[in-house]
Amino acid sequence: MQDQAQKAVTESRIIGVSTPRIDGPLKTTGTAMYTSDHNFPGLVYAWPVIATIASGTITSMDTARAAAMPGVLAVYTHENIGPLYRTPPTQGFSMIIDERRPPLEDNVVSYYGQYVGVAVASSVEQARAAAEAVKVTYDKRSHNVEEKLIGTPIAEPGIKKGTARGDVTSAFKNAAVKHDAVYSTPNETHNPIELHASVAVFKDGRYTLYETSQAVVNHRDVMAAMLGVPPENVQVITRFLGSGFGGKLWPWPHAMLAAATARNINRPVKLVVSRSMMFQSVGHRPAIDQQIQLGAEPSGKLVALGHHYVNHTAMEAEYDEGCGEATGFLYSCPNLAVTSGLVRRNVGVPTAMRGPGAVPGLYALESAMDELAVKLKMDPVQLRLLNEPDKDESNGLPFSSRHLKECLTVGAEKFGWAKRTPAVGSMKNEDGATLGWGVASCAWGAMRIDTEMSVELLQDGTARVTCATQDIGGGTYTAIAQMVAHETGLPVAKVNVILGDSALPPGPISGGSWTTASVTPAALDAAHHAVQTLLVSAATFPNSPFKGKKPAELEMVDGTVRAKGSATPQLTMAEVLKGANVKGITGTGKSQGTFGAKEEYSFHSYGAQFVEVTWQPEIARLRVSRVVTVIDGGRMLNPRAARNQIEGAVVMGVGMGMLEGVEYDRASGAPINASLADYIVAVNADCPHIDVTFLDYPDYKLNALGARGVGEIGLAGVAPAITNAVYHATGIRVRRLPVRIEDLMGAPMHLA
Amino acid sequence: MAPIDEKDPQPLTSLERISRRVFLTRAGAAGVATATAAVAAPLSAQAQAPTAAAPTEAAAVPGAVPVTLKVNGSTHRVMVDPRATVLDTLRETLSLTGTKKGCDHGQCGACTVHLNGRRVNSCLLFATMHQNDEITTIEGIGTPEKLHPMQAAFVQEDGYQCGYCTSGQIMSAVALLKEPVGADDASVREALSGNICRCGAYPNIVAAVQAVRHMA
Ligand code: FES
Ligand code: FES
Repeated sequence: MQDQAQKAVTESRIIGVSTPRIDGPLKTTGTAMYTSDHNFPGLVYAWPVIATIASGTITSMDTARAAAMPGVLAVYTHENIGPLYRTPPTQGFSMIIDERRPPLEDNVVSYYGQYVGVAVASSVEQARAAAEAVKVTYDKRSHNVEEKLIGTPIAEPGIKKGTARGDVTSAFKNAAVKHDAVYSTPNETHNPIELHASVAVFKDGRYTLYETSQAVVNHRDVMAAMLGVPPENVQVITRFLGSGFGGKLWPWPHAMLAAATARNINRPVKLVVSRSMMFQSVGHRPAIDQQIQLGAEPSGKLVALGHHYVNHTAMEAEYDEGCGEATGFLYSCPNLAVTSGLVRRNVGVPTAMRGPGAVPGLYALESAMDELAVKLKMDPVQLRLLNEPDKDESNGLPFSSRHLKECLTVGAEKFGWAKRTPAVGSMKNEDGATLGWGVASCAWGAMRIDTEMSVELLQDGTARVTCATQDIGGGTYTAIAQMVAHETGLPVAKVNVILGDSALPPGPISGGSWTTASVTPAALDAAHHAVQTLLVSAATFPNSPFKGKKPAELEMVDGTVRAKGSATPQLTMAEVLKGANVKGITGTGKSQGTFGAKEEYSFHSYGAQFVEVTWQPEIARLRVSRVVTVIDGGRMLNPRAARNQIEGAVVMGVGMGMLEGVEYDRASGAPINASLADYIVAVNADCPHIDVTFLDYPDYKLNALGARGVGEIGLAGVAPAITNAVYHATGIRVRRLPVRIEDLMGAPMHLA
Repeated sequence: MAPIDEKDPQPLTSLERISRRVFLTRAGAAGVATATAAVAAPLSAQAQAPTAAAPTEAAAVPGAVPVTLKVNGSTHRVMVDPRATVLDTLRETLSLTGTKKGCDHGQCGACTVHLNGRRVNSCLLFATMHQNDEITTIEGIGTPEKLHPMQAAFVQEDGYQCGYCTSGQIMSAVALLKEPVGADDASVREALSGNICRCGAYPNIVAAVQAVRHMA
């Protein structure tokens, strides 16, 4: 599994050192090119027509008025959009799409906001006005957007069994101390600040598609299949992504609308999805009900763990959230079972959102652990320490590198946990407000995905690195530059990195926190090969001072070539290339995926979240005031960027715990709070004081860098640590996120 | 990372070289600036906007009205849809795409620009109503080679992740320097709460703003 060719990189002047992002000057000056920033001569604008019912069929569409409006070039419906195909089944990381039905495939409507047409016009205002002028007549059927999930009919093929061991039913029945409760999380939406967008250019049978994509290679494959052209006729470009959080992993129907209209009218088309549409047709984390059954001995040792969840899915998709992701290995427990079921609702198609499965799953499990600790009259940190496993009990594999106990103890120390008094409402701050302290563990899987990379050393003294993968905000541009700088000795400023283009060497999706672990070994490998070839050139070009030496007797140090162990003579990389009259020397590199390979280790990152809430019952004001996060995420290649990711994830966790949730209007079936004024995300003033610690144990079993990735782990565990703290402050256990003030109105005032 | 030089003979990829040539021959003189900025140099997006292309393009739009806008010290006479916002005019007509759209409803702050020195949400303004105002965008305060101190502070403090909210954050932050905002972090947080950062880079954004305020 480990790339045997690469020795562990233990020392470096640049790897593991906080490095300002190389794309910072572009991002801060408005010169980084995001998808909708691409303008072309002759560009026109598309605006979708959306269904205003949640279930039914279209009986007629009157486009005459829209088509006659100024500037309108075309109006398309299911009757005239032209060929759009379904994708073949998914293979590995190709042909992945959550909403398989192409837009405008037929006259069936199964969720509010589904695209039923698209208008194209010379200006964005005209396109929008035309789309809104299309008159759609429906044969409406009743829809179902019911919030309650457990206890409602389960979709075929019924309840699925997940990881299991022992006999959880009888162990739970016979347990000395038990806890059994249902935890609910709402539909949450990714809401990256960059709107989803497509700019489609069609020319001579070829498509150049500027997309908001976390996975340009898959996006190319899907678009080619849906447009019915060979993949080499499609190029997908995402130079910069205004983040995605999973929402931009797989293509959504607007991309097909943009490409199909560009094809139909033979002009470049820009389609920017509106913020309200982003609550309808670009995916969301589904609403979930989770039943957790915990049984323990009086000592706190777990004897039974049942995790049974049901998530909503769309009428035409089978999206399983996978809430048992961390359940099987987080704690030692001889009797354990995970089951799952789907219920169909008339909602847009759900998709992966940051930490899919584990994040909502851990909200339920870690809330239940806290409730169990209360029943056991035991400290919740102690309860977790007590149930530490010595191997992954779900598959018997050893852990590659696991330091959850240290996360908990270091976090407790930093937070001041020893000062906690367990009685509800027993702690106050200096202003007399009530404090609540809560804790939760977290985990997230680590792996590598196949990656290819190319490094070219150039006569002008720079290196040029290319890979199809994307930088979605995690710092991939910079991480790759660090690797090449490490291997060549060039300064980071001399390394140009080109990413986000399906025509470049295939790179991984930007998701799952797997990008760093996948791309960095490939970058090292490519740079290594480029340097080896440079040394051959140095040993052989006419008039070389190294003439007669074998390439193996040369080395590249700090960007210059010299004989091993001797400071003179030396030539810069540029001098070698000029001497040899070679414009550039290319090395290619690869790193092999662990995905689907036979596993020898259980690869996961771990962490502990400690949260303080401040509660003022007189004015019903609840704030998350302080968070201490300790992360065991392998080696941090760029600690500054990694810390930023964790802090940002904690901020999103504050949103998940306290603010976020989509509400459906029962009458229309519409997501009713579909704006950033009504679906509240954390703003700057909501940001608590955050203290991040990295344990920094390199995981050399995963790759030569020992890096695992930190995109999702920081979000896991935040929401349950908040609700656990809320219980400690108020005595009220909130089992349905987000925590609402009305949940706390019954909190006893005498605790104030 | 050095912005990609569009004169660099090395094409990004063969297909992009094709598209570039196609656009250069197809676009005609008026379109050249736009085409090269958008295709040949996707990473750098040349800070100087290709405004020459705009009037010709926009003239073809039926129902368009003439407006004169003063942006970053230059005067632009363009044809726009009477319903066009300042934001869409900047982005779609003047190709000043540094100003971002995150909601179009005054709820996210990504579109923040300065109107006569004060910060405003450009998605809430009609272009036709601001013909006598001085508009300043992110392109008007610094370039990758010559960063404004606030831009430099954002780089230094890592005040972003994806960078999409960043233009708005920086425009808000620069305006904030002249506003009566308390010295503490909490006041800065409050004053910047109209600019959502979904990546949650808030601690570093506050650090960057405070670093510049302490410099002054
Ligand atoms: S785009 Fe103007 S505030 Fe969001
Ligand atoms: S940096 Fe991504 S939204 Fe702020």
